[in-house]
This record gives sequence, C-alpha cells and structure tokens, in this order.
Amino acid sequence: MEPSMIDLKETVTKRKVTGFWRLMTGYRLIYFIAIICVGLSAIARSGLYYVLGKFVDEILPSANLNQQLIWVVLVLLALALMQGYFSYAGGRLAAKSSEGIARRLRNYLYDHLQRFTFSYHDRAQTGDLLARSTSDVDAVRRMFAEQLIGIGRIGLLFVVNFIALLLLNVPLALFSVAVIPVIMIISVYFFVKVGKAYEAFQEQESRLSNQLQENLTGVRVVKAFARQEYEINAFEKENMDKFQKGRKLTIMHSVYWPSTDFILGIQMVAGFYVAALMVLDGTLTVGMYIAYVGFLVQIIWPIRNLGRLIADISTGSVSFGRIQELVKVDQENLDMGSYRPTGRIAGALSFNNVSFRYDGEDENVLHNISFSVKPGQKIALMGGAGSGKTTLVNLLPRFYEYTQGSIQLDGVELHNYPRDMLRQQIGFVMQEPFLFSTTIRENITYGLGREATDEEVYAAARAADVHDVIMSFPEGYHTLVGERGVTLSGGQKQRVTLARTIMRDPSLLILDDAMSAVDTETDESIRRALRQLLKGRTTFQIAHRVQSVMDADLILVLEHGRITQMGTHTELLKQTGGVYRRTYDLQSRIEEELEADLAKVTAVPKNGKVHLHELPQAGD
Amino acid sequence: MSEDYMEFEEEEYTSQVNKSTMWRIARLGLAHWPLMVGFLVFIALVSLIESWHTYLSKQIIDMGIVAQDVSALRYYIGLYLATWPIFAVLVFGFIYCAGVLGHLVQYDLRKAMFNHLQNLSLSYYDKTPTGWLMSRVTSDVGRVGDLVSWGFLDITWTVTSIVTSLFFMFIINWKMTIIVILLLPALYKVAIYFKQRILVEYRIVRKVNSQITAAASENITGVRVVKSLRREEKNLGNFQELTDQMYESGYKAAWLSALFLPAVQLVSTAGVALVVWYSGAAFSAGSMTAGSIHAFVSYITFMLWPIQQLAAVYASMQQAVASGERMFSLLDMEAEIVDVPEAIDPGTIRGEITFDNVSFQYEAGKPVLTNFNLTIPQGETVALVGPTGAGKSTIVNLICRFYEPTEGTIRFNGRDYRTMTQHAIQSRIGMVLQTPHLFSGTVYDNLRYGRLDATDDEVVEAAKMAGAHEFIIDLDEGYETQVGEGGVLLSTGQKQLISLARAILADPDIFIMDEATSSVDTLTEALIQRGMDKLMHGRTSFIIAHRLSTIKNADRIMVIENGGVSEMGSHAELIRLGGHYYNLYTRQFREEMEHRLEEELGEREVAMAD
Repeated sequence: MEPSMIDLKETVTKRKVTGFWRLMTGYRLIYFIAIICVGLSAIARSGLYYVLGKFVDEILPSANLNQQLIWVVLVLLALALMQGYFSYAGGRLAAKSSEGIARRLRNYLYDHLQRFTFSYHDRAQTGDLLARSTSDVDAVRRMFAEQLIGIGRIGLLFVVNFIALLLLNVPLALFSVAVIPVIMIISVYFFVKVGKAYEAFQEQESRLSNQLQENLTGVRVVKAFARQEYEINAFEKENMDKFQKGRKLTIMHSVYWPSTDFILGIQMVAGFYVAALMVLDGTLTVGMYIAYVGFLVQIIWPIRNLGRLIADISTGSVSFGRIQELVKVDQENLDMGSYRPTGRIAGALSFNNVSFRYDGEDENVLHNISFSVKPGQKIALMGGAGSGKTTLVNLLPRFYEYTQGSIQLDGVELHNYPRDMLRQQIGFVMQEPFLFSTTIRENITYGLGREATDEEVYAAARAADVHDVIMSFPEGYHTLVGERGVTLSGGQKQRVTLARTIMRDPSLLILDDAMSAVDTETDESIRRALRQLLKGRTTFQIAHRVQSVMDADLILVLEHGRITQMGTHTELLKQTGGVYRRTYDLQSRIEEELEADLAKVTAVPKNGKVHLHELPQAGD
Repeated sequence: MSEDYMEFEEEEYTSQVNKSTMWRIARLGLAHWPLMVGFLVFIALVSLIESWHTYLSKQIIDMGIVAQDVSALRYYIGLYLATWPIFAVLVFGFIYCAGVLGHLVQYDLRKAMFNHLQNLSLSYYDKTPTGWLMSRVTSDVGRVGDLVSWGFLDITWTVTSIVTSLFFMFIINWKMTIIVILLLPALYKVAIYFKQRILVEYRIVRKVNSQITAAASENITGVRVVKSLRREEKNLGNFQELTDQMYESGYKAAWLSALFLPAVQLVSTAGVALVVWYSGAAFSAGSMTAGSIHAFVSYITFMLWPIQQLAAVYASMQQAVASGERMFSLLDMEAEIVDVPEAIDPGTIRGEITFDNVSFQYEAGKPVLTNFNLTIPQGETVALVGPTGAGKSTIVNLICRFYEPTEGTIRFNGRDYRTMTQHAIQSRIGMVLQTPHLFSGTVYDNLRYGRLDATDDEVVEAAKMAGAHEFIIDLDEGYETQVGEGGVLLSTGQKQLISLARAILADPDIFIMDEATSSVDTLTEALIQRGMDKLMHGRTSFIIAHRLSTIKNADRIMVIENGGVSEMGSHAELIRLGGHYYNLYTRQFREEMEHRLEEELGEREVAMAD
C-alpha cells in the first residue's frame, strides 16, 4: 500500500525543515510511531534494570523467595520481549517510511526528468542529473532510515534514563550527567573535522582512480613509449598521498575515542563512588545501586555518536537541497492545447515568417522562414553545419517553441495542438540512432502504445531491411541490444530505428540526416523501403547529397538560419551561382576528377572500365 | 565482447573460506608485523580490562557497599579509576596500529598490482575489461585491507573478550559459568543465521540499485528519443517496477537487520533469567552475592556484542577472501612476453625489417597470418589499408612486439627481435594513435611524455615541427594549459598534433601512425600531413592509412582483409590490378571529395555571416 503520489513541488520551500516535513507526507504517522517504539524500547530496557534492583532489594532477602522467583523471571522475560519487539518495530517502521519516501522520490524524479524541455536537457549534464536522482536520493533515504531515528534513539535513551535517575535521586542524577554537554560539544566538533578529512581522503581516492583509469586506457601509449617507470612513479605519488590522508584520518580517530573513553570512564566511576557512598549512608539501597549502574551506562556512552549523526544529517540536507533544485524546474506540458483532431493529421503545413531563438540567447537561429507544403509532399533541407536545418524540424513536434511568426498545420496554429498528439503522429528518425538496452523487439515496438503482433514487427523489420540481420542472432528478436547483448553497427541501429518508425505509421515524417549512417552499407533495398515509407506522408528530409533530394517536391537551402533558395531540383539547377547548383556541380566533378586521377596511373584498368556513379544531366 | 563481459561478472562468492588465500592475506599484514603485533596485544589487553571492570563493579558492591567497608570501597574505586588512563592509551594504540596497518596494506597492494600491470602484455589487456582491473585495485584492495586490520582486530577482541569474561565468571561462580558456556553456541547460531540472510538481502539491494542507476542513466541520455516517441508513461511504469523491487528488498534487508539485535538479545535475556532463577537458590545458600548477580547479568548482556561482531566479521571475511582470490589471480598472472635473460639493447633498431615465415594467431585455430614473408628496407613508408577490424593493427602489434609471432621470426637489421629487450624496441618506436590518448596534465607534460629529459626549447621545437605550436600558444595558458582527462578539452585534430609532436620529440627509429577517421578541418589536416612528412623522413614508417594522399605517397601499400594480406604493391600497381584496392580507393575518393565539398559550402556560409 503506497500513500498516493503527492506533488513534490510542495517540498520546495525556503526552510528545509518544512521541506522535510512535506516530504514525509503519508509517512508521518508511521515515522512518529517508529520513534515512539524506540522510546518504549528504551523504557523496557531501563525497566529491566529496575526489576533487577527490586529483585536484589526485596525478593532475595524475603522468606518465600522460591515462589516469587518465578514472577521475577517472567517479568524479566516480558520486559526483554518488549524491548526487543519495540526496537524491532521501530526499525521496521523507520525502514518502511524511509524506503517509501525514497521510492516516491526516485519515481518522481525519473518522471520529472523525462518531462523537461529539450532546452533544459541541452544545457544539463547527464552525470549531474543522474547523481541527483540516485545518490542524492539515497542520502535522503539514509537520513530517515538511520540518522533522524538514531538521534531520536540517543535523545530518548537520555530522556528515559534521566527521568529514571531523577526518580532515584535528584542530586545524584544531576551529578551523573555533568559531563554530557562537554562530550556533546567535543563530539560535534570532532565529527565536523573528521568529515572534512574524510572528504579529502575521498577526493584523493578519486584522483587515484583517475590515474589508474588513464593508465589502463592508455596502456598502448605507455607501452609504445616504454614509459612504465614514469607511470609507476606518478602512481606512487598519488598512492602515497592516499596512504597519508588515510593515516591522518586514523590519527584523528585514535585521539577522539580514547580521550572520550577517558572522560566518560572517570565520570562513570565517579558516579559509582557517589552512589556507593549514598548506599553506605542509607540514602540508596543496594538494589537501587545496581539499577543506577544500568541507567548510568545507558545515558552517557551513546552521546559520543551524536556528532556523527549530526554531521551526516547536514550531508543529507545538502543532498535534499540539490534534489529541490531539480524539483523546482518546470515540466513541459504534454496535453495542453485547444485543438485535438480525432483522426490523423493530413500534413498540410505553412510557415509564415517564423523566427526562433533559444532560451536565454539574444540571437535568432532561424530568421523569417516562410514556405508551405501540401499533404504528402516531400521537403528536402540542405545546408552546412549550423545552418538551422535540425532546429527547423525540431519545431514541428514542438520540441522547441517558435518565438515569432506562425506555423499552421492543417490550417490550425501549431501551438494549439497538444504536444503528445503531435509526437504520436510525427515520426522522427534522428541522425544518431539511439537504441535502448532491451530486446530488439522492444526497441521496434517502443512507444507504440499498444501490443503488436509478431507479423507486424517482422513486416516492419523487413521493410527496414533488418529482419535477416535480426534472425541471424541466436535469440532473434529477443536478443538484447547494448552492453549485455549484441553490438550493432551504426547502419544496423539506424535500420532498427527505421523499423520502429515504420511500426508507428506516422502521419508526418522527419528524417534528420538519417541516411548518412546507412548509405555505405545497404543501399538499394533500404532506399526502396524508404520510398515506401514516404508514400502518402508529408516528409521532411535533411540530406547532404544531391542524389537524395532530387526527387523532393520542394528543396529548401538554408544558410545561417535563412532560406536562401527554394524550389524543385530543376528550378534550383537553373539558378546558376546558387549553393544548390554549386553543390551539384561539385558532386558531378567528383566523378570526373576520379576518372582523371585514375587515368594518371593507368589508361585502361585490367578489368575493363571505370565504374562511375551516374548523375542526371543538368537542365540547361 | 559481451560473453567476455559475463565472464568477468562481479560478486562471485566462494562460500568456503580458502585457507591458503587466507594465509596469503595474513602475510600481507605480517609484512608490517610490529603494527600487527601491536594492535593484537593492545586489543587483547583492552578486552581484559573491560572484563576486569565488571569484576571490579562486583567487588565494589560486595566488598564495599554490602560489607559497609569504606576503605575497601575507596580501594576498588581507586583501582577502577586508575585503569582509565591505561585503557585510553591502549585504545589509542590499537586504533592507531590497526588503522595505519590497514592503509599500509592497501598501499602495498595497490602498488604491487599497479607495478605488475605495467609489465603485463597487451594481450592481457585485450582480454580483460578495464572496469574489472579497476575494481581489483580499488574495492578489492579496500576489503582485504579492512580484513587484515579491523577484521583481525575484531576476531581477537571477540575471542579475548569471551575468554576473559568466562575467566572472571569462573572465579565468581563456576556452576553458573557452565550454564553460560552452554548458551554461547545458541547465541552464535542465531547471530550467524541472521547475518547470512541480511547479507543475501543486501546483495539484492546492491544489484537492484545498479539496475536503477542504469535505467535512470539511459533515460537521461535517450531523453530526446523518449520524448519524440511519447514513451514517458511506459518508461515510468517499467522504472516503477524496479523501484518497487528496491523498496521490497531494501525494506526486507532493513527489517531483518532490525530483528537481528533483538533476537540475539532475547537469547541473552534468557540467560539473565536463568541467572536470576539459579541465584535465588544459591543466594540463600550463600554462594551467590548481590554483586555476583550484577556481574553475571553484565557479562551475559555484554557477551552479545562479541558474538554479533564475530558473525559480522565472518560475513565480511567471505567477501574479503573472494576479493583476495581475484587480486592474487591478477598478481599471479604472468606476462606473456618476457625478455630472455641474455636479451640485449642493440642501441638502435634502424635498418631492414624482415618477416621470415611469420605465422600468427590471437586464438588457437584462427590464424591471422600464415607463413608471411616480407622485407622492408630502411626508410620505406608502408601504408596499411583495409576495412575496420580486418587486422591492420596485427602487423603493428607484431612490429612493436606487443605480440610475438606464433611461428617464424621478425628481424630488425638481421637480428631476431626476441633477442632484444622489449624496452630496447618499444622505446625506439614512435606511435600516434587514431584516437590519440593524452594524459590529464598540461600540454607540456603530454609532449614531454615522448622524451622525459627534453628541455623546454626542445619541446617547443618539436611542437613547431608538428605544426602544433600555433594552436598551443593560442590556448588560454599556452603550454601550461590543462588538457583534461584523456584530453577532452582539446579537439581530435589538436590531440593528433600533440601526439605527433610527442612522437617527434621521442625521435624514434620506427614510426607508426593510425590516421584519424573522424574528420578534422582542412587546415589541421594539412598541418598533420606536414608533421607526418617530417617524421617519416628517413624513418621506416607504418601508417594505418585512411587519407588518399598518405596512401598514394607510400612506397608500399598493403591491403589487409579478413586478417590476411590480400594485395601488396605501389598505388599504380594496385590500381591496375583492379581488385580490392581499386574499390577501396574509388570509394574513398568520393567520400573525401564530398567532405571537401561540404566544407566549401560551410566556408561560404561563414563568409556570408561576416
């Protein structure tokens, strides 16, 4: 039974304590009971000593000792059971709350991160996001599981035993705890210090690991330059440093523990002495002296650990702060939008003076883009690196929001469409194919939103010309991809992502230079599959080669965020001096140059003639 | 690769504690025997004093309080007080000795392993994942170091605590002591049972935790795909299954731990009840005093700590011994290539290189080269071409003697290179890798790696020759700029230039280069070309070539396919042959031209922007 998902946004508060309080929503009562249990356990334990004292005082000297003995034994066992049970229950409930709070945080952060905007992810570092959503969550978990409850335990042990001491004898009680404030101060001071030394030790450890890692990954270089001696010396330096930092930590501990041993030991024996004198002058009984010894031991020794718990809590609190920073970030709204058509998108688009700049940047990366597309047309985008091709297509699934102008899809302004609807209907094949480390089948049906039959999956894979490759793996479609499974080549990966796109049957298709990885491997069959896929869908294709864009209904040439040329292949070829024509000429020249180059060494190649790629003749 | 990976799976536990491994671990500590003897003696004395303290408490009650004897009370209180300074010194002693010993053993082990790793042959590295080696030198070392120090300390403390407690109990009342002795095995059984189960649960927790991290990491790196495919809900669902597992196993491990102490305590309280029961009768008989009862109760409740500590040590000992076994397997690994005792350093390896009937295989039954014969005159440039993974680096590995021929002989200037030291060969070969590996540190440090005793002027001279000087002085701090881990702060082209300069500085007899496949800009490419020309001049060079200009200018081209040399000759010869090389060349020609074309378009844009 998990308490319902709360909106963790509420835990973002100015005061951390309030944040923690809200974080505990749904677990407050359990956690409170856990602390009560810890207190009851302390009471039972002190009760044990009290019963023991009473036994010595009243039962032992009495005449009918043997009849009463059974009761004492039973009470002792009952108290022990109580103590054990409550200590267990406290631990169990604390675990339930801390694990529950951690699970909720983990789930929330995981979901939260996948709902951030592209702009956020562009700037964020993977390692940092990961650390916040894993190790920082664990630090918060430990705070609830160990540190807060630990402080509660020490505090309650103190309260319970102090009350017991006060009931026994007030002056004796006050005398017995005299040293506690001093120990508390020393403890906190020590653990703060040792925390810093430990950090330095950890840093040295990671330096050492880096040194080692570099040596291992660069082993060829080390061997090629025969630099083993040098490497050994460099490692020795870091290794020695780590030893010294470790020794420093050891020395700190070897001073703290015996000195507090000494102080507390003296305090304890002094307590024994004063209490013993009280027995001698009749203020205390022998049995109560025995009980006193039990209380005293429990009240003074645990205090030494207080400093560690406090120091750990401050670490946990820093982690919580880092989590809060993440929670604060706004999510992208997926289902907001006034227009939600029931069927498929037809795919008519018109861009009207669209400009775009990234969040927090001053300069536009797209300037006054205007063009229009009929349903089912193929639009090719050409241009050098940084010309804005990818940015332009990223506007369509609303990965980014255009900052000026208007884009209309089927006659409706694009930002009136909910994002989830657009993304379901737009197929996006990215330049770098990304597969998840699960089975190939899972990858193909990824994000489909329904169960697919094997036939469908096979058909999609066949269309993407990857079925045979998949079947050659021992486990076929159930083969795992990635570290724990097979390693696919770039082209194979891209074909799997193509199969994934085919599976989704999108209304609008974006191919972001998707064929660059495929080109060299399997040419013709994949192109045929692609032509099949393109049929009847509005398609945006980013490409470099004239061959890939010639058949487009509209070719846009982008330079520095502006459309500099627009038209069909034939039209653009006529614009002599334009980039398109130049590209075409250069690509044609390649073959001529190759011919010339080969001719330098041989007039006639042995096996006949030079095979050249053919380009259609220029129009004029 | 993936199968190898599985073989190197972590967490393989030997449930039996191997005696010889244990002894070898103990010897690590004995290397620093004063510390070891020190902490063992100190901790034994500490436990003796602890047990004595309880006895003193009894004497205070019986001799002082019950007997109403103030002087006896003062005597025992005085004695008790006097032990504290000694106790404190002993505690200081054992923490210091054990702590320092632990760090020292770890230091020794890291050093031994690192030094050993430097001598292992490349074949070992090719078979062993870096991560596996890393864990040996980091986490395994930690576990073994802890066992030698704190583990041994705990065992000693446990044993002496139990023995000394029993000793004092025996003095007080021997019949009662026998009851307690009978109780001990039960206490130990319960403790071990729980520790084992808790260990199993925590192992699951760790496993699930690494799955959670992997899942979170993948979702962050693939977030753009997740968003474009609208998979958020399904992913969260899958992730929730993991966090549910984590919750279950984390919760179970935690409540088992919470149950552990009460369970052990319950056994010991049963002991206390027995004492009370027995003492009732004995008290009236006069053989049991109030102080004795108090002492017995204290001893019994105290004894649960050593027992539970013993269970904990036993559990961690299993892990540490497994760690030890893995570490020792690394330390015992012998280098495949070892210099023969009479190996010499001929002073130079310039001259003719001969492959005489060389056969080679990485794996038995899969020959890569068979009866290969080749003579390369001094100063010749050899281009190795062919698809990735076809075995171009095999030739390089053999020349560098990273691997040795399985049959046949390789000769430098007529001399079998196995009669030379590895250092003599490898220190005279300059190498530039495709993805040049730089070490974190400054540009200077990296350049000087080529020749450690080079002066600053020589370093700059080499950088100038390689064409790296210009970009270096443009860096924020010039030659003192940090390059970052693996050189991440520099571009691939810049890294290549630096590693070229590094090779120039080393002034090698043989030069080997693996050209970068990833595109660098035309200017850098020209610079690299110029640097290479300087280096190759007068030296025998082997280039794993990707660029046409390099290939065409080579004296000899070797086409390597499916592990063997399929074609060999000059550019013109091979083109005329119209075979593999011909296809390779024409494909490469088109790609290079297209690349140049894109750059031309890019430049035009830059021009427009200005």
